[in-house]
Amino acid sequence: MRRAQLLIAILFLILGLAAPLVVRSDYLFQVLFRVFLFAALGLAWNLVGGYAGQLSLGHAAYFGAGAYGLAVFSKAGIHPWLALLLGVLLAVLFAALIGGVSFRLRGPYFTLATIAFAEVLRVAAKNLAAVTGGDVGLQVPGLFVKSSGRSLYLAAVLLTAVALCITAWVSRSKFGYYLMAIREDEDTALSVGVNATRCKLRALLISAALTALGGGLYGSLFLFIVPDQVLSIDISSEMAIVAMLGGAGTFLGPLIGSVILESAAELLKNIFHEAHLLIYGLLIVLVVLFLPEGIAGTLAHRLRRKSAIAAPPFKAPGPVSS
Amino acid sequence: MALLELNRVSKRFGGLLAVNQVSFSINEGVVAFIVGPNGAGKTTLFNLIAGVFHPDEGNIHFASKEISQLSPDRAVHLGIGRTFQIVRPLRNLSVLENTMLGAFLHTRSPAKAAEEAEKVLRFLQMGNAMHLPARGLSLPMLKRLEIARALATRPKLILLDEVVAGLSTSEALALAELLRRLPEWGISAVAGVEHVMQVVMRMADRVIVLDHGTMIGEGTPQEMVRKPEVIEAYLGSKYKELGL
Repeated sequence: MRRAQLLIAILFLILGLAAPLVVRSDYLFQVLFRVFLFAALGLAWNLVGGYAGQLSLGHAAYFGAGAYGLAVFSKAGIHPWLALLLGVLLAVLFAALIGGVSFRLRGPYFTLATIAFAEVLRVAAKNLAAVTGGDVGLQVPGLFVKSSGRSLYLAAVLLTAVALCITAWVSRSKFGYYLMAIREDEDTALSVGVNATRCKLRALLISAALTALGGGLYGSLFLFIVPDQVLSIDISSEMAIVAMLGGAGTFLGPLIGSVILESAAELLKNIFHEAHLLIYGLLIVLVVLFLPEGIAGTLAHRLRRKSAIAAPPFKAPGPVSS
Repeated sequence: MALLELNRVSKRFGGLLAVNQVSFSINEGVVAFIVGPNGAGKTTLFNLIAGVFHPDEGNIHFASKEISQLSPDRAVHLGIGRTFQIVRPLRNLSVLENTMLGAFLHTRSPAKAAEEAEKVLRFLQMGNAMHLPARGLSLPMLKRLEIARALATRPKLILLDEVVAGLSTSEALALAELLRRLPEWGISAVAGVEHVMQVVMRMADRVIVLDHGTMIGEGTPQEMVRKPEVIEAYLGSKYKELGL
C-alpha cells in the first residue's frame, strides 16, 4: 500500500509538471497554482496537525512571514530570492517563539494560543505601517521575470514535491513514530523517553519553513499583499481543512484534500457567486460528521480491515506452563 | 548492590500526605512487590521514581545517581521503564508499532526497532497479535502491551503499576510467571498490586507494604504475612487463620 501511495504521488506530480504543455488559459493556471500551493501548505500543516496531532490554527503567521519577508527585505534592496530565504528564516524564528510557548499547552488551549499569536501578528502588521505599509499594503516583487504565472505554478508543483519528500521521510522514520506517539498519547510517549516538546518543535520548524515558502509564492503571484489577506485566519483554517478533508496524518491526504477543495471552491464560485461559502461550509460539516478520518484515512481504514479479515484468526495466549 | 534506593521520601498534595517518609532499597535482579490498598500511595511512589513527580522531602538514587529531580523522559534514558495503572495504548498504531516506540530508545532504524520489538512480543507471547491495531485488544493483552513497550526500552528497572488489576486469577498468574523471568534479561522489577496475594506470595523476592502513604513493613513475602501490623492494616485476620 505504501508503494501504491508513492506511485499516486509521483503520477500526480508528473501530471502537474506536464500541465503547462496543454493548459493555455491564465485563469486555469491560477486555479492549478492554488491546487498545488494548498497541497504543499496542507502537507506542511499535516506534519504538525496530522502526524503530531497538534491542531494549529495559526499557520497564517508563517505564511505571512514568508510573504512579508519577501516584500520587506526586497524593498530594502535585497535580491528577491535572498529576501524569500530571509522570510523563511523569519517564519522559523516565529515558529520557535510561538511553539516554545504554546507547546506547553495541550488540546484546545494549544489551538487557542496559535490563533492568538497569528492574530497578534496580523494586528501588528496593520499598525506597523512604516515597515509593512499597514492596511494600505505592500508591493511584492515577482520572483520570476519571464512568464511569471507559469513559472510560479511550476514552483508550486516543486514545493509540493519537496513537501511530499519530507512527509515520506517523516512517515517512515523514528521522528515520525515519535510524532505519532505524541498524537496518540503524550504521557505514553514520555514514558518511552520521547522528548515531546523538542519533537513537536522540530516538526513545527519544518512546517513553518515550508509554509513560508508557500506564502512567498502566493505574494509573488498577486504582487501586492495586505495583512487581512496573508495573515488572516482564513489561510490558517484553509490549510487545516485541506489536510483534514483529505485525511490528517496520512501521506496523500493533503494532496487529495487540496484537489477536491480548491477545484470545488472555484466551481462553486462560478456557479453560486457569493453563496459558494455556504456550500463550502456545508461540505466541511459533512466531512467532519461522516468522514472524521478524512478521505485517505477512511480508505486506508477500509483496506486495512479487509486485509485483517484475510489474515489468520488471532489466538489469545493461554496461561504459561512453568 | 542497591539498584534503587529511596531515602525518607515524602510527597504532599495540598493537605494530603500521599507518601510519608518511605525508605527502601531494591537490588539488581530482584522482583519486588509493593502491596497496599487503593489510595495507599503506590502510584504516587511510582510517579516519584519515574520522574513524573518530584519528592518534597528525601531523595531517590538509581544506579548510584541522584534522580529526585529528573524528568520522565530522562528517567527512561537512565533505564527506568514504566507501565500505567490505566492502560494507555497508542490506539491507532499496531501492537508492533506500539512496542517499536520503546525500542527506538536505542536505535534510529525502524527495521532494527521492529526486530527488537518482535523479540519482546514473542517473550510476552503476543507474537500472533503483532499486526493488530492496539484499539481492539482485550484488557489482558493491553496489560501485556504496556509491559512490552516498557521492556523494549531495555530498562534496568521496570515499574509495573497495578500490573494484574482487572485480570482473572489465572491470567494474573500467567502474567506473573512471565515477570518472574525478567531477571534473566537483567531487569529488576517493582510491581504494585492491590490484592492478588496469591501472585505476591509466589512471585515476589521482596514485599513492601504501604498503608496511607506510610511503609508498614518490608521483607520476604513469608515475613510480611506474619507481621502483626501488616495483618491488621491490610490482610485481615483471615490470612492468619489460613496460616500462609
